[in-house]
Parts: sequence; structure tokens; C-alpha cells
Amino acid sequence: MSETMQSLDVKGAACPIPIVKTAKAMKTMSAGELLEILATDPGVEPDMKAWTKQTGNELVSIEQQGGGVFRVVVRKS
Amino acid sequence: MSDDEESVLYVMTHGLEAPERCATPFFLASTAAAMDLETGIYFTMNGPQLLKKGVAETIGPKGEEGQKLAFFIDQALDCGVSLYVCQPSLDLNDLTPDDLIDGVKMIGGAAFNDMAMEARAVVTF
Repeated sequence: MSETMQSLDVKGAACPIPIVKTAKAMKTMSAGELLEILATDPGVEPDMKAWTKQTGNELVSIEQQGGGVFRVVVRKS
Repeated sequence: MSDDEESVLYVMTHGLEAPERCATPFFLASTAAAMDLETGIYFTMNGPQLLKKGVAETIGPKGEEGQKLAFFIDQALDCGVSLYVCQPSLDLNDLTPDDLIDGVKMIGGAAFNDMAMEARAVVTF
């Protein structure tokens, strides 16, 4: 099964850009859709946990890739 | 602000005397709004100086380096943050509502206190 996933590249952008752009991108999506976020902000993990906890969207995964890049996947609730 | 929504209220008391302090309330408020919180910033004491037309394009938290204040204000407004001032604070700074950027809402002390009582958190800078 393959799910369509939108992607948001915020590498190089500092707080609050990753959260602001994630929130904006999610507003255009439908419930159940996935969004991949690529970020280098070192605070992105606690921020995404707080953001999903507050907004009720699902944090599917956070993994650290090479070069200080975090790949975050969230699902719109 | 409505009673049934979670809200955060920021209070900004600094202005042109401390440009390094100008951006933080705006970007924290932008983040709060992106978290679906009803979010406002109340400008008092020197704070209204930051909202005078033309000022935001000329100052920034890191001086000539980095983003100007206008970037942070536009981002906050775009995220749905409300900006509030009251008349005495404008008088203190020899400003009138017409001197301010678009989108600033006038309130009074009673409305401020009511918002502070209703908010889940009040953060003062």
C-alpha cells in the first residue's frame, strides 16, 4: 500500500519557520494525509512533539538523517 | 478573544531603546498561533513604538544583520496573531492610531485585564 505524501523542505530555516510552515501546509491537506518535513533546526524534535500534542495531529516518525537533517512525518487528524 | 478557545497573551514593553528585544514576542506568538492557540500581543510602555509605520523596515534584532522587524510582524499577522495597543500607551509615545501599521486593534485596560484573566498564559517581555 502506498500513501501519497506531501513534502516540505525547511532545511536551514530556524524556529519558528518549520512550525509555521508545517501548520500552513497542513491547513491545505485533508484528514489522514501525510506530510514529510525536512529540517535542520536542532529544536525540531521537541517542537514537533509539542505542536502535534497541542493541535491533535499525529506525529508518525522523527528520524535523524545525515548532515544534521531531521525527517519528520506527521499525519493530519 | 473568545472564552472557549485556549489562548496565550504576550505583553511587549520594549521599543526602539532595545532593538535586540523586538522580534522574540512576534516569533513566539507566530508559533503559538501555528499551534492553533488564540494569540495576541499587547504593546504598552515603549512597545507601541515598534508599530509606528516605517519603523519595522528600519530596525531588526541583529541590527544590520539578519531579518528586519517587518519580517517578524508580517509573519505574526499572517499566522493570525492579534496586535493590541491602548490609548494611554499611544499618548505616552506621541502616537495616534493613524500612525500605526494596519491591523492593530485598540483596546483599553479593562479589555486587557479581561484577556489576561482568560488566557492560559501571559508572557511579559
